[in-house]
Amino acid sequence: MTLLVADSLDIRIGDQRIVEGASFAIEAGRSLALVGASGSGKSQTCLAPFGLSPAIVQGSFRLDGEELVGAREARLRHVRGCDVGFVFQQPLTALTPHLTIGAQLREAWTQAGAPRPSRAEMAAALERVGLHDPRERLDQYPHRLSGGQRQRALIAMAIAHRPKLLVADEPTTALDAMLRAEIMALLGRLCDEEGMALLLVSHDLAAVADNADAVAVMHAGRIVETGPTRAVLGDPKSDYARALIAASPRLDAPPPALGPIGAPLVEARQVSVSFARPGWRRGRLLAVDAVDIDVAEGEAVAIVGGSGSGKSTLARAIARLGPIDAGEVRWRGEPLPPRKAMRPRDRAGLQPVFQDPVASLDPLWKVRDIVAEPLRRLRPDLDRMAVAARVEAVLAEVGLDPTLADRRPAALSGGQAQRVAIARALGPGPAMLLLDEATSALDVLVAGTILDLLAELQKQHGLAILMITHDLAVARRLCHRIVVMDAGRIVEEGPAERLIAAPAHPITAKLVAASR
Amino acid sequence: MIDLIRRRLLTALPTLAAVVVLSFVLMRVAPGGPFDGERPLDPQTRAALMAAYGLDRPLPEQVGRYVWRLLHGDFGPSLVYRDFSVTDLIARGLPISLTLGGLALLLALLLGLVTGMAAAARPGTRTDRGLMLGATLLTALPSFVVGPLLALAFGLWAGWLPVSGWGDGYPPHMILPVIALALPATGAIAKLARAGLAEVLAQDHVRMARARGLSRSRILIVHALRPALVPVASYLGPAAAGLLTGAVVIETVFALPGLGRYFVQGALNRDYPLVLGVVTLYAALIILFNLLADLAYGWLDPRARR
Repeated sequence: MTLLVADSLDIRIGDQRIVEGASFAIEAGRSLALVGASGSGKSQTCLAPFGLSPAIVQGSFRLDGEELVGAREARLRHVRGCDVGFVFQQPLTALTPHLTIGAQLREAWTQAGAPRPSRAEMAAALERVGLHDPRERLDQYPHRLSGGQRQRALIAMAIAHRPKLLVADEPTTALDAMLRAEIMALLGRLCDEEGMALLLVSHDLAAVADNADAVAVMHAGRIVETGPTRAVLGDPKSDYARALIAASPRLDAPPPALGPIGAPLVEARQVSVSFARPGWRRGRLLAVDAVDIDVAEGEAVAIVGGSGSGKSTLARAIARLGPIDAGEVRWRGEPLPPRKAMRPRDRAGLQPVFQDPVASLDPLWKVRDIVAEPLRRLRPDLDRMAVAARVEAVLAEVGLDPTLADRRPAALSGGQAQRVAIARALGPGPAMLLLDEATSALDVLVAGTILDLLAELQKQHGLAILMITHDLAVARRLCHRIVVMDAGRIVEEGPAERLIAAPAHPITAKLVAASR
Repeated sequence: MIDLIRRRLLTALPTLAAVVVLSFVLMRVAPGGPFDGERPLDPQTRAALMAAYGLDRPLPEQVGRYVWRLLHGDFGPSLVYRDFSVTDLIARGLPISLTLGGLALLLALLLGLVTGMAAAARPGTRTDRGLMLGATLLTALPSFVVGPLLALAFGLWAGWLPVSGWGDGYPPHMILPVIALALPATGAIAKLARAGLAEVLAQDHVRMARARGLSRSRILIVHALRPALVPVASYLGPAAAGLLTGAVVIETVFALPGLGRYFVQGALNRDYPLVLGVVTLYAALIILFNLLADLAYGWLDPRARR
């Protein structure tokens, strides 16, 4: 029986056409993944027909035979409350902060008219989605839970009223690689057990491979290819689907050619960082525990680990961008001064690129000034003309059109903004780049081009790279060596290919499995 | 939470001490004295009075003696109302002022929140803009303008309500002063609640609640209102203080025998202990209200609990 049928669906916001003529169908209990880059209209396709966006919907969208296009808000509300469950991308903000998990689960449980659940029933529901200590969780407020735990709780709430259809809009994009695989598997299992249909939205074709029966690839508001997942992944018919598949970094792709490695550049010894424990607990949390790490000239090293493993804290401590409690960092054999005593030339040697490109650019500045700022500070030897020339040069080097130099960050796409951030980092002529999840906020296709750019720059300039990522496949594309961190310690390190082929530590094995 | 209360009480003591000492010195620096009437006293009587109240001693000693008595709960004698101690006067005026201020605060909260919610529920519509224009007008009009206008309209022209005196707490006497005192705060609370709700209603957890098919009113009240009240709570501390000082004006306008009247009279008469007593009390109340506002944060947003 067909549960959901979309037929020539058009979605507009104002004068802008977001989706044009989209048609697809989901059988009861089966799953469909809508895959596409951001801005392709995939989220609007699954939200607007249910009245969850201000967009105007035309065409036909029938759930269980009932036409939702043109239905009144009260009717749509009833459909959302009784027949459909939703899971969104941002687990950190999707829970109401001042209500306990139990209160919110009870509300979700009863929204379709079911009797109030007992505590035991609710605890069982939380246990089913893989939350530990479910009874304790019922009385906790959302901020006590980690991102992965909150997404599990949200999934429990989305299925508590036993919907016929689960709509999951990028449910794992905000989570780290290990959690992604677990949450995807959980969604698939729950749908099987409940006989629920699943409408999955993702930008990552590889991620949906195991968990969707069918795939519809969207590009610029149109569905360009649709079919069973195996068929589309194995033998894509459209160019766009082919590009999308090629762009996702895979562990079984041929190893990339990497540049030569020179003399030691950074030698960090016994680096420890601790933070005051959050909340009412006393004492300090050891985020990085006596870690040694080396990076040579021209060498790209990835620090890989789950969220909370201490990988960002370690890299920031080495770069003197964050606190450091103990340990020594040597730069070309000489001790690197502490944070406050860093001289311009120390800073010029090591430049960072962060995860969220738009947030790391000043929204009021023009691209030209953003790229010029570190040059003025860190390269006092350059005069105005030389700075302007250098800005032009690095913008050209990262492949940005010169006309973009007078734009502000809000007028850039995510990929363009990240290129600006890379140009800014390249400006002072660093010997090493610190890439803190530099591609994880970007779409697969865009992330692929940014990784290509970084690999090119690395080879050309003999740049050393310290890359922080939760994704082994991304690390492998760029790095000579991989360091795996867990709970503030290095659990395994070695050449990228060897480590991925024969992981020795269980955490590494888990990361490898998550990237397959 | 207990830790917060303890820390606040510890910082309250030096604050209060500073208020007392500064006010003490300021009062003395101001020209004139408690016994400077229209008919000058003869020097001997004056000196005897000064000695009787200890006003002839060095200033630091006077401050010390005052603080010492204050620590024992004694506000000292009034210099002008000769038969009363300051404690007696406060005991008479405070219940009236607290009733007035408390009712005004409740009314302002009630009206302000309802207005703010009504406006935020229909953003950008005429209702929204009309209500917010009204709120701006209310905030702009001080209570000494609103008070006499209300008294004119409802007291003198319509003749519905009394415009002067407390009537021993007979409710109709309270209506006009409470409204006059509440209206400016109502406008501010309405604007804060509207802004707070607009921010919260755009957040992810509200979209989540909408996705669950909950009704608009349930989303507004259960999922959005509490976090939206954080700015209102931070306004309530200063607002309570404003209502106390606003009461000084309103009590004069409506001839109410509250604390504010004693305060004004005390200041004009250079009745040092009376003014100091009222100032100390006001300061203590303001510290208390700010503490209550901070405690309210914890309830409104569990993330703020420490």
